[in-house]
Amino acid sequence: MTEISLKYERLIQDLRQDFRPQREWGEGRGVFLVIGHFLVGIAAGAWLLGLLFAYLPGLTAGFLLASAGGVAHLAFLGRPERFWRMARHVRTAWVARGFVGLSLFLAGAMLYLPPLLISGWAWSDGSRLSQLGWLMAAAGMVVLIGYMGFVYMASKGIPFWNSPLHPVLYIAYALRGGAAALLVEMAAFGDPGNAAGALLKIWIAVTAVVILLFALEIQGALAGGNIAARRSVREILAGRVAVYFYGGTLLLGLAVPLALVSEGLAPSSLAVLATIGLFSALGDFFMKYTTIRAGVYLPLNPRPTRHR
Amino acid sequence: MKWGMVIDLKRCIGCYGCQLACKAEHGTPPGVYYARVLKQEEGQYPTVRQLMLPVLCNHCEDPPCVAACPTGASFKWEEDGIVDIDHDLCVGCRSCMMACPYTNRYYNDQPPHYFPQGQTAFEEARTDRHQANIVMKCNFCRDRVRAGKPPACVANCPTVARIFGDLDDPTSEVSRLIKERGGFTLHPEVGTRPSVYYLPP
Repeated sequence: MTEISLKYERLIQDLRQDFRPQREWGEGRGVFLVIGHFLVGIAAGAWLLGLLFAYLPGLTAGFLLASAGGVAHLAFLGRPERFWRMARHVRTAWVARGFVGLSLFLAGAMLYLPPLLISGWAWSDGSRLSQLGWLMAAAGMVVLIGYMGFVYMASKGIPFWNSPLHPVLYIAYALRGGAAALLVEMAAFGDPGNAAGALLKIWIAVTAVVILLFALEIQGALAGGNIAARRSVREILAGRVAVYFYGGTLLLGLAVPLALVSEGLAPSSLAVLATIGLFSALGDFFMKYTTIRAGVYLPLNPRPTRHR
Repeated sequence: MKWGMVIDLKRCIGCYGCQLACKAEHGTPPGVYYARVLKQEEGQYPTVRQLMLPVLCNHCEDPPCVAACPTGASFKWEEDGIVDIDHDLCVGCRSCMMACPYTNRYYNDQPPHYFPQGQTAFEEARTDRHQANIVMKCNFCRDRVRAGKPPACVANCPTVARIFGDLDDPTSEVSRLIKERGGFTLHPEVGTRPSVYYLPP
């Protein structure tokens, strides 16, 4: 059986299930969407914290990660040659808003960063162009931090995502990802302002918020959600994506960095700082991956039992 | 005018005639089903029964797929309320599939033929014309309807379980059936106000 015919057979099987898993986002080329959301979230967080700590490598990483995230999004699209059309429906579509935000961010960063990085650039830091770039990138950053959660929240077909907590959770992910990126960078390029300690405190605080929000989301789905949301939680805790959740999100993304933090070696050890950042980012990726893969469609039948 | 459909679950015998008629009419590629029939068994032996649930795009009054589409490829015809897709605008982001509470949108990334030896003459004529890597769905056979014919699934239902008509006209058969037989929609709680109604079995 070829890969194509296997995919077809799997679709037929899926259509017979009460809880049809969504496979378009997260499987096959769909994994590029997860990568795109992961990179863009980190990029926006890194840009925000880079501005806060006046840390140029953080801003540069934000720009590079957002560019890579944009490429990943393009790789996900079925017809990437039509990408520019995605700006058409900004009034109602969060995907369109995200596209505009990313474009704004990249354009702004391209105006703001060069005079900071290259001496003798065509325009100087503090010039009108540079200020315009700062504004555009800041506006784009706000959109990028927020839009992903709303994309999921607008997905009425997937009740687990259709939660008001999702946007807040994704904002927290972006901040945690940004802190993780800066921790790695400070380990690699140095920490001129002794900001690593403060950054680590931010990382701990945001991690606590992420844990709380995720627990609330799970609790909300179990207590007040419909059967499809409950099924998604089951997929995460004891189903087909449980291995990614326990291994990737909890062990790599949470247990390892928290153990390192509790050892008290950071922020004095740069290697520990970098490890915390890397594992935290890895955990965020798996968190997003499991949330997306756990999505199941609302069952069509009012009383789901057994289909033929 | 607002086109709508009533499906009488008492009359449906689960023959898949609607699904086949739709496939023949549109030449949809493998993995794309504008019309489907779900079968469900209920009860415990010896008191059991089988329920059929024919499903298709619900052509909602407030379609979340249209709101979620970033390019405007998914849209609603103002004059008749049919929700449609402009395939030339679709980028294949599949956000409409996630937004649809009725799972009636399909991503076309399969080869345009069913058989390993390649396309049949029918597939060359009908299936091949569909664009690849875009989302597809039922449009109530809009071309047929504009030509004064009912949708293919309605025309080919042997038990007349499907009735098509104007929901805005209180004297139409669809409006009468909904009123007299207690027509219901799927998932009213999501607030999309579908144009496909079901009559209880």
